[in-house]
Amino acid sequence: MEYAIRTENLAKTYGKTFKALDGVSLQIKKGEVVGYVGPNGAGKTTTIKILTGLIRPTSGRAYVNGVDVAAKPKDALRSIGALIEVPGVYDYLTPHEILTYFGRVYGMRRDVIDRRIKETLEMVRLPEWEHKKTGSFSTGMLRRLTIAKAILHKPDILILDEPVLGLDPKGIMEVREMIRQFRDEGMTVFLSSHLLSEVAEVCDSVVFLDKGKVVSTDSVEGIGRRMDHGVVAVRFLRPLSSQDTERVRSIDLIKSVDVKNGTARLHYDGKPESSVQILKLLVSLNLDVVSYAAEGVGLEEYYVSVMSDEKGVQ
Amino acid sequence: MTTNAVSMRNNFSETWLSLRFELLKHLKRRRLLILVALAVLLPLLPLIRTPDTAVGFAGNSLSFMTVLIIVSAAMFAGDAVCGEFEKKTSLLLFPTPQSRSSIFAGKYLAALVCTFLVVTLWYVVLTLETGALYGWGEMPADMWKSFVTALLFSTAAVGVAFLVSSAFKRSISATILVFLILMMIMPVITMIMTLLESEPWFIVTYSANLITTVLGTSSRLPMGPHGDFVQQFTPTLGTGIAVMAAYATVCLAAGMSIAVRKED
Repeated sequence: MEYAIRTENLAKTYGKTFKALDGVSLQIKKGEVVGYVGPNGAGKTTTIKILTGLIRPTSGRAYVNGVDVAAKPKDALRSIGALIEVPGVYDYLTPHEILTYFGRVYGMRRDVIDRRIKETLEMVRLPEWEHKKTGSFSTGMLRRLTIAKAILHKPDILILDEPVLGLDPKGIMEVREMIRQFRDEGMTVFLSSHLLSEVAEVCDSVVFLDKGKVVSTDSVEGIGRRMDHGVVAVRFLRPLSSQDTERVRSIDLIKSVDVKNGTARLHYDGKPESSVQILKLLVSLNLDVVSYAAEGVGLEEYYVSVMSDEKGVQ
Repeated sequence: MTTNAVSMRNNFSETWLSLRFELLKHLKRRRLLILVALAVLLPLLPLIRTPDTAVGFAGNSLSFMTVLIIVSAAMFAGDAVCGEFEKKTSLLLFPTPQSRSSIFAGKYLAALVCTFLVVTLWYVVLTLETGALYGWGEMPADMWKSFVTALLFSTAAVGVAFLVSSAFKRSISATILVFLILMMIMPVITMIMTLLESEPWFIVTYSANLITTVLGTSSRLPMGPHGDFVQQFTPTLGTGIAVMAAYATVCLAAGMSIAVRKED
């Protein structure tokens, strides 16, 4: 299978001892939206800089659409659109001038460049700023412009490094919406972030990185399942009487019951089939169930647990 | 077409693209405009007090040429490399399908083109002035040699600025150092060596004296309270050209080598 992004034992050492990356192997399928998560200094940006040819790995290989980035950087970078950290923008130039240059770099025809500039600026909501100097742009506008630059040539792969860094809530929502749009268009998106809510909302799977090593890889859905800790929250139409509570407690599959604010939290063995059985028994007891939801821990708790595991190992 | 030929053609078109983009940047930053204005206005200064001969007039005017070339080199090439890293525009520019050597070659050439333009404009103004004041028949015969020497010194000065820009992280430090090297350190070494009666033939700013000396003008160095003159050396054309060419080649090669390997 040809992956959109693949790395083999990627390592990057600064000086003699500091290992920014320590044997990172990634496999990202075409069309996937993958979150790359880790604390500051985990090696996320280093990986991305290697993937985009900005720095060379000390050892290991990085491939984009099967092309070795170090060996054939131009071929590899042709299919990538990248937004890395917070890039500077030439403040004395206009978006039209900047994007025209990059369009030419990607070998686009003049008419195609003009059309794509209009389309991408429309997409990032900057159409009326096309011929204004970027020196007067806000942080959010500059970020949107750099996203426009990244997608100008309609890349197969989009690499985004902390795309919402420094943006206000409105800006964050806009960027998220754009990522969803890219996903729907079939683009492969590799998204580095330390904002887990962002990853949970837009990504199919997540790679957790810590101290230059991959500590966990799973789908967002899979993480949800793995973190199902055997509690189901049930809301009833009427508050449970003490008699009703005793009837619920009498169900064998239930270990214990907490009732708080009209919601009963039922502790069980965590197996999906047990959860189904409990629901059936509640209905058979003529209790009017309004909602029934397994309580899982969030990505944040999962993040903390995997990072703690890693610390435990060391 | 062979792979090498295709690769060479691609590199050439990338360099051309980078060169055009850099020229646009120089224009938009108004640096080119400022230097062009200086190149047109400064040659008018000798009009305040005109010498008797056309050679003297040209010599007086061209005595500012070295300074203009150094300013131009510092302005156009001083931040060519480090500026991209310092302002993080490298993160926009480099993850694209073009080789770094092409990008930097374009930057170097753009700085050179701008400096050449400024130098050429100066000579055009000077030629018009000399012709108008002294008659076209009095035009110094070796003006073209002076012009070629000025272009050669421009290549060397831009090379030095490019090397400093590659080696440094901050634009301001690089630009100041270019000024210091070419306007202070090298002239001071030249002066010390001259005082020691040893010809500073290897100093590129000493070679740049050819810009005026090829016209037949000479200047002596007044020293001491009574304005005594010390032995003044004059660079020979062959050695001067060789030194300037060597500086241009070595600095460009070293600058390119550092620039393409530079990481954030």
